[in-house]
Amino acid sequence: MAGPAARSRGIPAAYRVWAPVAVLAALCLLISLFSPNFLTISNLLRLLNSAAIPMVLSMGMTFIILMGSIDLSVEGILSVTAVLASLLVSNDVSSVELGLWSVPLAILLGGAIGFANGWLHIRLGTPSFMTSLGVGFTAVGIATAILQGVTVRISDQSFRWLSLGRVFTVPMAVWIAALAIGIAYVVQERTRLGRWIYAIGTDETTARQVGIPIERTRIIAFAMAGLFYGLAGVLSAAQFGQGNALIGSGRLFTTITAVVVGGTALSGGAGSVLNTVIGVLIVVVLANGMVLMGVPPFVQQGVQGLLIIAAVALALDRSRMDIVK
Amino acid sequence: MTKKTTSSFTSINRRSLLRGAAGIAGAAALGMPYIKHASAEETVWTLANSMRSVANPYHATFAKGGENFAKSIGAKYETLVTEGNSEKGISDIKALLQRTGGKLILNVDPNDSPDARVIVEECKKAGAYVVTQWNKPGDLHPWDFNPNYVAHMSFDGVPTAKTIAQELFKAMGGAGGVVALGGILSNVPAIERKLGLDMAIKDSGGKVELLDFQPADWDEKKAFDITQAWITRFGDKVKGVFAANDGMGMGALEALRQNNLAGKVPVVGIDGIAQAVKAIEAGEFAGTVAWDPLWTGGMGLAIPYAVASGKLDIAKEGKEHREFYGTGIIVTKATVADYKNNPSKLDFNDLFGKATGQIQYRG
Repeated sequence: MAGPAARSRGIPAAYRVWAPVAVLAALCLLISLFSPNFLTISNLLRLLNSAAIPMVLSMGMTFIILMGSIDLSVEGILSVTAVLASLLVSNDVSSVELGLWSVPLAILLGGAIGFANGWLHIRLGTPSFMTSLGVGFTAVGIATAILQGVTVRISDQSFRWLSLGRVFTVPMAVWIAALAIGIAYVVQERTRLGRWIYAIGTDETTARQVGIPIERTRIIAFAMAGLFYGLAGVLSAAQFGQGNALIGSGRLFTTITAVVVGGTALSGGAGSVLNTVIGVLIVVVLANGMVLMGVPPFVQQGVQGLLIIAAVALALDRSRMDIVK
Repeated sequence: MTKKTTSSFTSINRRSLLRGAAGIAGAAALGMPYIKHASAEETVWTLANSMRSVANPYHATFAKGGENFAKSIGAKYETLVTEGNSEKGISDIKALLQRTGGKLILNVDPNDSPDARVIVEECKKAGAYVVTQWNKPGDLHPWDFNPNYVAHMSFDGVPTAKTIAQELFKAMGGAGGVVALGGILSNVPAIERKLGLDMAIKDSGGKVELLDFQPADWDEKKAFDITQAWITRFGDKVKGVFAANDGMGMGALEALRQNNLAGKVPVVGIDGIAQAVKAIEAGEFAGTVAWDPLWTGGMGLAIPYAVASGKLDIAKEGKEHREFYGTGIIVTKATVADYKNNPSKLDFNDLFGKATGQIQYRG
């Protein structure tokens, strides 16, 4: 399919940027028509609280998808870092009590596993899909081997404050997620790394010809994603007051969905961290709204599927795609 | 004896019959060689438990139960995990049957109901002995595969859920609105537990109202998000939370905690995981049901081992010993201390001590 034909699909580019926002606004409007409680401050705070962990995960994933790669190790890294964090604060399994020092350690572990992802992907020349899948399995395996089915209960209240605490009535998890968004945005807009990631995702051959260190950038991007997953691991452990090998399960699909619904193309090069913020909110508002509106459980999944297709159809910039695969 | 066909299978029947006769006759000359033969065989059998994963507390304890029994008789023991993948579960079992030449005693919690048929047929072909847990098709019965398909064990979700729901209502002061978290809609335990909850609500004579029911797919995070939405939707009309398992109950509890409602709105769950027991002590959970996976993990091997070693002629046992429910223990604030101080004793010789009736098939 030629360029002009592709361009005719969907809505003009100037408006398309705002498509995810429009979807989110329409969704909020629709829900508030059915449920007057939706647009209350307390519900919005609950929504943001639910969005915190997917938000942090999606920040890391955005960079990977912008490169045209994929990272399937989300659940593995999340689990193993949550387990590490829970074992390093006062708990009912280990006798280590590092308090909040566990936070940087868990994040660094996430970064290290992310680095392994990138390094193996580049050095072995294996697709990121398979490499990260394998690394993710290994990470879950490590968490399982450490705990052998046991769940660690966290009794450290200062650690749990990272999720339960409130500053200006806003839960700490929301502040931390906002900080993660800020960091991701700065990396994207203000660093060479951010620009290189876009260049690689748009056209790797050209990027190589202009001298961008492709391999190093890819490895750093995966390591950075790992840091975000590690932070999400810390938040999960704080939110549920526990660490176990299955704490990450179910997170991967939401993360990828949120990034794509926000308008970041799986083919790479198009999208942004801010798109992902909207994408995460769409996914979380949708789940919250269906319970609020009392949509029958049997119907919910179907509605979710249709809305995701609609959001992607509106938001995705296909002007530079010759072929849609 | 490595490969058993239908004809050699009848010879097993004959042999175990003879063994039984020998036992009754005492140490008769005829019986002696058989008994000796059986005891010589003891070390030949490999024991294995197969389950979804050892990463969740229920299955980790289930595996431990199997290991305990294997240790008690000095047999080789293996743990197989399906990782939620039926294909993997079945092919691992086939490989183990191959490796042990059919000298396998298997206690399996099939990943999905249809898997049970394949597993039973493979075991029958190889001459191994198998017990299934929780999942099997309604028309697959142990007595159709004598003696290799020894038994199927499960727990009756209906009365259990009804009892624990009534404990919740009691903690709520007997009246008010409840919200309920269900398991994966198509799972048998999820359907049974919902049925039990509905019965308890009906029995309350209109005092307790079910505000909403949502399936959270046994998932803690989903339960967390749904409970948050409920707090918005129903506010302080929510007087209690029913969760079809403890994991979802913990998710609901954390959502309540985020809204300063932990301990104020009681939660009940099912499974008896350690965290739930702790939450009961803390006054945040109103109750749970403990399944005792140490028992199912061990007895699911002890019973077929008794068959394999000729101590039990399973074909002669009644149906209430072939497809039976185990006993769940209701743990509440009142009984939690007793539950923790008196862990249930395991007697591997008391094969059916905790069996409570034949499995019923509903609708």
